[in-house]
Amino acid sequence: MVMQKLELPLSQTQKVRFERAIERLQSLSSTANSDSSVIVTDSIPVNHDDAFLKGHGTSEVDGELLATVCGVVERVDKLVYVRTLRARYKPEVGDIVVGRVIEVSQNRWRVELNFTQDGVLMLSSMTNPDGGQRRRTSVDELNMRNIFVEHDVVCSEVRTIQHDGSLQLHARSEKYGKLEKGQLLKVDPYLIKRTKPHFHHIESLGIDLILGCNGFIWVGEHVEVRDPLIIADQKDDEMISSPTKNTVKDQTHIPLETRQTICRLGNAIRVLSNLGFTMTLEVIMETFNLSNSNNIDIYDMLGSEFHVVVTENEAERRRTKRKN
Amino acid sequence: MSSVKRKSEEESSDCAPPQKIQRDDDSTQIINQELVGCVHDVSFPENYLPLPQADIKPPAKEFPFTLDSFQSEAIKCLVNGESVMVSAHTSAGKTVVASYAIAMSLRENQRVIYTSPIKALSNQKYRDFKQEFSDVGLMTGDVTIDPNASCLVMTTEILRSMQYKGSEIMREVAWIIFDEVHYMRDSERGVVWEESIVMAPKNSRFVFLSATVPNAKEFADWVAKVHRQPCHIVYTDYRPTPLQHYVFPAGGNGLYLVVDEKAKFHEDSFQKSLNALVPANDGDKKRENGKSQKGLMVGKFGEESDIFKLVKMIIQRQYDPVILFSFSKKECEALAMQMSKMDLNSDDEKDAVEAIFTSAIDMLSDDDKKLPQVSNILPILKRGIGVHHSGLLPILKEVIEILFQEGLIKCLFATETFSIGLNMPAKTVVFTNVRKFDGDKFRWLSSGEYIQMSGRAGRRGIDKRGICILMVDEKMEPAVAKSMLKGSADSLNSAFHLSYNMLLNQLRCEEGDPENLLRNSFFQFQADRAIPDLEKQIKSLEEERDSMVIEEEESLKNYYDLILQCKSLKKDIRDIVFTPKYCLPFLLPNRAVCLDCSNDDEEPQSFTIEDQETWGVIMKFNKVKSLSEDDDNRRPEDANYTVDILTRCMVSKNSVGKKKVKAVPLKERGEPVVVSVPLSQIKSLSSAIMNIPKDLLPVEARENALKKVSELLSRHPDGIPLDSEVDMKIKTSDYKKLVRRLESLENLFEKHKIAKSPLITEKLKVLHMKEGLKAKIKSLKKTVRSSTALAFKDELKARKRVLRRLGYITSDNVVELKGKVACEISSAEELTLTELMFSGVFKEAKVEELVSLLSCFVWRERLPDAAKPREELDLLFIQLQDTARRVAELQLDCKVEIDVESFVHSFRPDIMEAVYAWAKGSKFYEIMEIARVFEGSLIRAIRRMEEVLQQLIVAAKSIGETQLEAKLEEAVSMIKRDIVFAASLYL
Repeated sequence: MVMQKLELPLSQTQKVRFERAIERLQSLSSTANSDSSVIVTDSIPVNHDDAFLKGHGTSEVDGELLATVCGVVERVDKLVYVRTLRARYKPEVGDIVVGRVIEVSQNRWRVELNFTQDGVLMLSSMTNPDGGQRRRTSVDELNMRNIFVEHDVVCSEVRTIQHDGSLQLHARSEKYGKLEKGQLLKVDPYLIKRTKPHFHHIESLGIDLILGCNGFIWVGEHVEVRDPLIIADQKDDEMISSPTKNTVKDQTHIPLETRQTICRLGNAIRVLSNLGFTMTLEVIMETFNLSNSNNIDIYDMLGSEFHVVVTENEAERRRTKRKN
Repeated sequence: MSSVKRKSEEESSDCAPPQKIQRDDDSTQIINQELVGCVHDVSFPENYLPLPQADIKPPAKEFPFTLDSFQSEAIKCLVNGESVMVSAHTSAGKTVVASYAIAMSLRENQRVIYTSPIKALSNQKYRDFKQEFSDVGLMTGDVTIDPNASCLVMTTEILRSMQYKGSEIMREVAWIIFDEVHYMRDSERGVVWEESIVMAPKNSRFVFLSATVPNAKEFADWVAKVHRQPCHIVYTDYRPTPLQHYVFPAGGNGLYLVVDEKAKFHEDSFQKSLNALVPANDGDKKRENGKSQKGLMVGKFGEESDIFKLVKMIIQRQYDPVILFSFSKKECEALAMQMSKMDLNSDDEKDAVEAIFTSAIDMLSDDDKKLPQVSNILPILKRGIGVHHSGLLPILKEVIEILFQEGLIKCLFATETFSIGLNMPAKTVVFTNVRKFDGDKFRWLSSGEYIQMSGRAGRRGIDKRGICILMVDEKMEPAVAKSMLKGSADSLNSAFHLSYNMLLNQLRCEEGDPENLLRNSFFQFQADRAIPDLEKQIKSLEEERDSMVIEEEESLKNYYDLILQCKSLKKDIRDIVFTPKYCLPFLLPNRAVCLDCSNDDEEPQSFTIEDQETWGVIMKFNKVKSLSEDDDNRRPEDANYTVDILTRCMVSKNSVGKKKVKAVPLKERGEPVVVSVPLSQIKSLSSAIMNIPKDLLPVEARENALKKVSELLSRHPDGIPLDSEVDMKIKTSDYKKLVRRLESLENLFEKHKIAKSPLITEKLKVLHMKEGLKAKIKSLKKTVRSSTALAFKDELKARKRVLRRLGYITSDNVVELKGKVACEISSAEELTLTELMFSGVFKEAKVEELVSLLSCFVWRERLPDAAKPREELDLLFIQLQDTARRVAELQLDCKVEIDVESFVHSFRPDIMEAVYAWAKGSKFYEIMEIARVFEGSLIRAIRRMEEVLQQLIVAAKSIGETQLEAKLEEAVSMIKRDIVFAASLYL
């Protein structure tokens, strides 16, 4: 458990409460791996007579297995690798990532992902805006700015990692693509665990929450993913009712309530990030509800008091979870 | 599922009405050059609103010939932008539809994918399309050419892996053409088709080309449902060249026309052909086992073999070129060898053959040219005789295909694989065998297979009619022959099954969900569809059951149960008495015995208290040597002994002229004959030993002997049974217990009040029928229950459990490191291979050893005389077996149905040595001396290993193990050389 130093002014009582909660958390965290944490050039003990596989973050120098990154030594059967802590994002095929477009080039967008290199999203890896299945033409390339421009926030999936370490992204279906009307939050990638769904639709609030594996989190108004087939069917009606569909859509107003919810969720995530707690839908929602039930204003969520409350709550949550 | 037939408006536009000939009435089918019957039907998804008709564009492709109606119907669907399934015979010209779809996509700047089940076929199609369209690429496991082309030819496996990995191609593909889609019923690979159809992009359209399948509509309904788009079916039974089917009876001299080109079955001619069968003598008896038709191999003492006679006749009548199908590689070769005396090519043709052959094998190294298979085949080829099977070197196979297409091979001996794929017709097709080994046992060729293979007969535009010749031997029942010749095509049924690789790949993607795949599978669709039918059946059965009213049913039922119990007890007792240990000493000649002569064939509905029985006299008993010489209908438990008994028999001849002997009660009419019966048919032994003359040849002597038995019976109606306890000295506790129980039961039996009631037997019969109905209803209900639930649901759970236990996925179904490795491995058993990798075996072993170990994953054939591999290899193999056993036992533990031993033994070490030598740099002829297998099989194995190695390289990269990665790369470079990876001639 890596605990971040809080850079918040704490009153004396808050300090005591906070330290007590941290103590409790530390006592709850497993200590099994505590002695296997390594820093760079630490030697990793392995049985050299036996075959072993050396994975990421290790290197064999003069018959000794050394760690090349700081982290925790993990073993899967005979495979030894080092899981990094608080490093940049290390992509894996199939990860859901949120990123920001930083360049539009000939047939691709470059996307900043908090990785050592920029991700590449090819024009051909995007579903055609008209839903048609066809090869891309130079006209499509000229119209790329109609899809994404610089600073747009996009969501996509890691397709492959090339030989040179560059990253190919793709948008498998309609739910990937441009993210609008919401907030992008950046947290340390290690705070986000790979889970089965990374897309969450919080129905009670009408909010979409996307936990990108690269530590970029999107909180935004819920967008109904529409099947292109259905769109095709409905095209005729829409043609009549809203001839200028796109402009209408851009002007749609987000209710104040939704905006507040987005900010409250955003701040909840910020608090958790400050405290270094793992982000899951469950924890985020609990923090969100906690702020609501304690009648804490959105702005005040970033204050010391709420941080301490969240820490105490988390300690309590883990304790009860462990009991069960 | 709503389905609207819109045949009328669409077809009437330009076709004359007689074109619509329903296939239901085969016999009246009109085959005419101009009017080609086809059926057009459409499946619409639910709530589907038709799109407005697209603007009419000029056709994407003009054909230099007039299209058959089924072709133009199918192309009309394509023009409307709707999916179509074309179901027609191989030679009918389905490729036209595919090439139109390609032309259309290229015009619209869309991508099109063409998939076929076989690599060789993909190569050939690539060549064809490349000539026509030029913007064509090829992707098979072996080669990749221009993967960025608009039209991509690939194997279905490659398509599936592209869908899992995600590829821009999938976003640009407008049309996917699935050739030979009936491959979906293949038990091993069929599931790949289902996966790739389910996962296909939602906006793409499909062209399915399939052999004739009766349930094409069902398939189209499925596609319409899964992809929410209309799917057309164009079905035709039409053959451009009509077929005549002949029978060539074994040992006979002539051909008998059985089915003419109007599809009429000639009964009389068929009978004649059967009469012409020369019965096989005892020396030929082995043939009956179906192993191989010995009659084909050796003629009777210097006489010409049947096959030689037949080929000679074919050549004389100018029925060549001819394809002779047989079902094993060995048989294929042996048959070809018998033709050694024949020469079918002129000198010019001989030179042409040689020129083609030498230029083709020029790419081989000198050592490879000296391979016996290469050097031996040329002389045969020059005489116009060819062999084509999967055991040939791929390059030879292709040379032979080319020679055949050029007309330089007049007589080709081929296996079934030749019947799939590219248009390579002959005038005549011969079936040298009508039985096929399908992995477990020999079975008759199915009518579907017959249709597929006979599709090779008749060259369009050259022959007026194609000729099919069926070589029939004694074993063939006429009914079987008829159903084969006249039967309908095989249905397209799902062969869906789960695999770990599939599960992991599904779990890995964000929206992937194995359950979703299952729900959308054709398997589930077929199961769902069967339910209403089953329910109807249940209902009618229930009505029937309720309509049977029986008086005093309860007590009758009670009585009925007693009878059943009594019978089963009697049977148990009999089984003890007649174990060879007890009864053999008493099977003395001339002892009178009681036989069970109730007939199994009679309708099982009848139910009687008393069994039919008869009496006879033992002659002698025989020990049967092995099961193989046994008749099929004999049950295994009495395979050991048969007893020859003189008794009264009914001798009848059935329609084929086969004698049928059936024992009948003594008082009935019949001849006194000695029959051989299995032990289980003897009911009881009598203590009486008759005095019967030794010479029983004259009929009177036998008649007298039976008279004596009758006299004995009239004096002692029960036949003086042998007391088992006293005489036979059976004293086991089991036996005693059974006897006591039987006694008490019989007591109850007699006291039962209903036993005296009139019409008891009739009543019992009715009750018996009712019980039968009840059992049927119960089993039907069970089927309904299991199909309403998601198919494979339990197996899915069990398999996920396995993955969790092995640490491939977490409890939240998130794929872990090991799972990611297993995801990459699709060409070999993924769990065992991944476990081996993580146990460090690959890291430890030398490169050659590693390659050799991998050969166990791709080689599944058992070689009878394979030597044990050397110690280091054997040690590795033992490690493999241990891992496999651990994996299998874990699966069993998690309730996955698996046979641990057969799983462990499915990894064969037989070619380890050969592959080791190959990796060491040996020449191909050297390794052929180590492993006595077919050249082609070995090459296929090595190529497949290369595939596995490539997958392992990706896996090693993903875990960051660079040394292992380098080692695997080295392994690839070591095995990828020379003849094994010689490029296809089609490229």
